[in-house]
Amino acid sequence: MKILVADDDLTSRAVLTAVLSKWGFDVRTVADGPAALEEVSEPDSPKLVVLDRMMPGLDGLEVCRRLREGETSMPRYIIMVTTLGSSGDVVDGLTAGADDYPFNNDELAARIRVGRRVIGLQDNAVEREGLNGVVEMAGALCHELNQPLQVISSTAELLLMDLEQDAPCFQEVQTIERHAARLGDITQKIMAITDYKTRDYLTGTIVDIHGLNEEGTPDLSHGQDGRP
Amino acid sequence: MREKKILIVDDEPDIRNVFQKALSRAGYTVSSAASGTDALEILKTEQILVMFFDLNMPEMDGLELCRRVRKDLPTALIYAVTGYASRFQLTDFQEAGFDNFYSKPIGLALLRSVADAAFGQMEGRTGRTPGPC
Repeated sequence: MKILVADDDLTSRAVLTAVLSKWGFDVRTVADGPAALEEVSEPDSPKLVVLDRMMPGLDGLEVCRRLREGETSMPRYIIMVTTLGSSGDVVDGLTAGADDYPFNNDELAARIRVGRRVIGLQDNAVEREGLNGVVEMAGALCHELNQPLQVISSTAELLLMDLEQDAPCFQEVQTIERHAARLGDITQKIMAITDYKTRDYLTGTIVDIHGLNEEGTPDLSHGQDGRP
Repeated sequence: MREKKILIVDDEPDIRNVFQKALSRAGYTVSSAASGTDALEILKTEQILVMFFDLNMPEMDGLELCRRVRKDLPTALIYAVTGYASRFQLTDFQEAGFDNFYSKPIGLALLRSVADAAFGQMEGRTGRTPGPC
């Protein structure tokens, strides 16, 4: 996970970089406010940010405010660090949009771990939401496809009833009918995923419709045996 | 032989057409309607007791149509044939009064066998033996 450290003090940056790298973070460092804003404006920029409150140019409070203003759907986790530790300072920091305002290094370490957890959860939620959207759209599409599929497969079936087996186009019509039926199977499977099995099948980023067994389509299979 | 009548209700003309052809070839007398309102009109003048309804139709959907038909024809056999089966719960179909439901695309052989079984059930109720279709 990427983390941005904005601190004008070289020693602080070096210490934090060493510790955070050891924890497995991909650490980016900047020495002032404008550089911090520039860094987070990059695509795929760090979601976890450690801001020094006292920096030249733009201070941590102002950077924090601007970061919050520019935020869209996925908020950053911002930790403000400072030597100023009065109640009023904390309130200022939190009001500017900081998530945490730790007073010492132990607390900072704990807050960074919290931040990592929160960002991780947010990432998962966003990924799941995106997948759900895609799967739902696929389901809606299948519903629409079933109408023309019905017409194609039934028309092919009717043609096959009229044609002699040795008729020139018999095999071709049979091919159309067979593949329309295959498409029908696919739409049923996709609809089963979207309506019944979404969560079960969204354990990863791949939804394998062919991996669905017949039990994956409980209500759809109801009545399909021709016995009313 | 007594005429075996079936009503098809679907807002898609091509689907009405293929279902009608398939069932006519199987010996049934098929009426079709493009909407719930048209279907209710047909049922005022024709005595039909086996029906296939699409669900997703403008104005009156298949569930509503089934509820209304059920009031007057409690013994009719009414089946839903829909591309949207998975959007509904089994209880939705039961509550509306459908005897069963089928997903589109439905094979014509299955459609015919449902019709055959429906008339078989009807004949059984009235004590007549099922005639050839």
